[in-house]
Amino acid sequence: MKKADIIGGLIGILIGLYAIWEGSNMPEDVVMKIGPSFFPTILASLLIIFSLVLIVNALRGKSKGEVTPLKLSDKGVQRGLITLVAAIVFCIALDPIGFIPTAIVFLACMMWVMGNRKPMLMIVVPPLITLSIWLIFEKVLNLSMPAGLLIDIL
Amino acid sequence: MEFNWELMFTSYAAVFTPSILFMICVGTVAGIVIGALPGLTATMGVALLVPLTFGRAPLESLSMLMGIYCGAMYGGAISAILIRTPGTPAAAATVLEGYPMAKRGEAGRAMAMALFASFFGGVVGALIMTFASPFISSVALEFGPVEYFGLAIFGLSVIISISGRSLIKGMMSAFFGLLICTTGFDPISGYPRYTFGIVEMMEGPPFIPTLIGLFAVSEVFNEVQKIGGAQQIMAKLDQYLPSWADIKYCFKELCRSSIIGTVIGAIPGAGGDIAAFISYGEAKRASKNPERYGHGEIEGLAASECANNSCSGGAMIPLLSLGVPGDAVTAVLLGAFVIQGLQPGPMLYKEHIDLVYQIFASMMLAQFAMQFIGMAGIQLFARVIMVDRAILTPAIFVLSCVGAFAMRANVFDVYCTLFFGILGYVMMRYDYPLSPILLALILGPMAESNLRRALVISGGDFSILFSRPIAVTLMVLAVISLVMAIRGHQKVEAKLAEQEKLFNEVTQE
Repeated sequence: MKKADIIGGLIGILIGLYAIWEGSNMPEDVVMKIGPSFFPTILASLLIIFSLVLIVNALRGKSKGEVTPLKLSDKGVQRGLITLVAAIVFCIALDPIGFIPTAIVFLACMMWVMGNRKPMLMIVVPPLITLSIWLIFEKVLNLSMPAGLLIDIL
Repeated sequence: MEFNWELMFTSYAAVFTPSILFMICVGTVAGIVIGALPGLTATMGVALLVPLTFGRAPLESLSMLMGIYCGAMYGGAISAILIRTPGTPAAAATVLEGYPMAKRGEAGRAMAMALFASFFGGVVGALIMTFASPFISSVALEFGPVEYFGLAIFGLSVIISISGRSLIKGMMSAFFGLLICTTGFDPISGYPRYTFGIVEMMEGPPFIPTLIGLFAVSEVFNEVQKIGGAQQIMAKLDQYLPSWADIKYCFKELCRSSIIGTVIGAIPGAGGDIAAFISYGEAKRASKNPERYGHGEIEGLAASECANNSCSGGAMIPLLSLGVPGDAVTAVLLGAFVIQGLQPGPMLYKEHIDLVYQIFASMMLAQFAMQFIGMAGIQLFARVIMVDRAILTPAIFVLSCVGAFAMRANVFDVYCTLFFGILGYVMMRYDYPLSPILLALILGPMAESNLRRALVISGGDFSILFSRPIAVTLMVLAVISLVMAIRGHQKVEAKLAEQEKLFNEVTQE
């Protein structure tokens, strides 16, 4: 946890410094002396202070808890990374390709990744889930889903 | 403000229509299922299903959400008893007694008691809410910006002191969350801050997508890494109501825990998991046979289940009367209110008093719905836990993205959900608590705009913050809760370690 805490603290400090730097470019209220940057600057300073405390504690060997290291050889970590990529692809493809095809492909891929590889289920379940979500949102609730390629049919 | 009996009866009549009752039942069923599935919490359930209420009438959607909230609090007990995995964090204490009971072959007795205790706690919580919130809101009508600033600070200090193992990381989460809220237009001058030139960021972080990301998508990334089915105890669930002897045996604990639960729920920031553990600890302390605890003592089960359900009534009190959520779930509910164009707080009592009483009524009816649906569907819910994760987890991700997209039909919100999902996963992994961020998202804008407003009134003089007694009291309480958290941390840590040990003993046998 020591290394993780130091990195976490550094990220906190960077975010805080960015917020202060960006805040210093904001216009100041002439009358009140309290402008848009007033509140964020206080918050950022406090974030930096606590990040420093976290780093100091970590350096003094006072980090709490343990974290299992991420190893690429671990099956769980591999699944996590595949999911991450699949999730990003899903979000990018959602608008241009449309909800129905993207969701069906995504669900089928994920079932395979997570170990449910019965062919019958992989053919039947993803379209079933996708269509029920689509029907509920599009037809029952009248909320539009990205139509994408299917725009002419739907 | 006088309690309005007439309005209460008419609002019960208004809720007693087929469509509202139907919505309550749908919500309750969904809630129990969500609560029963490990990894799906009440917070996540409400966040995922809020999009279903877009475009519905306020009462319809709010009563459905009430049903989800109450159902999920009970549902957690089902998996706690049958597969020794708490379905929601609030059911962690239930595992300690429920699972040993199930192993003894008393799963039916445990489930019946869990349901009845949840119902009992829920009714007491809803009753206290009905009578206490109008009173509190009438006090709150006098509140000015200084008091609201104090209230926001108090709520944040509580959530920081109780969440997570490290106070410093809690603080970092809270201040990071508060910084996120400052993106978008400045509330007083309208200057756009930290937008990176993105138009969608001008309005600040989109609330529902952000929290679907933090609480649902992060859990998806967590879930895919662990595979391996839980072993369910094959038990006969032949009991629907606890025996008269059991009720009599636990009655004192039921009463005590429902009060403890409601009070803890009403403190902004503290939620069902804390309520359940404190009630469980109190029950053990007061018990004549504390040595039976951890080995399937029905009293402990009743205490924990009763407290986490009464907590939901308690958490609604500050939400409705002050506009400050009492726990993480009510923080999400606040978002649902705002989508309906309603701002909870004292003004809600002035402008929509009928709706407020209808919410009281639907909360009460949700408890009855929970008891009946719980009895009728006990066999079914026990089977739901075994749903294949390989299907469920990806489906949750798809539903999360759809929910985020639905409100504004904007792909930016989907990216936002994904971003906060990844962020939430990383933070959870390294022990940074997420609930302070959620509360900060609500209390942050409240703190900032009221602070700035107060300073505008005083002309930049900070002494105005210490000029009002209620505000000073709240800020002193905030400082006390933080100081106590720092000083009591070792004690709390020891207690947590003890409970964790007990928990591991029970779960690893």
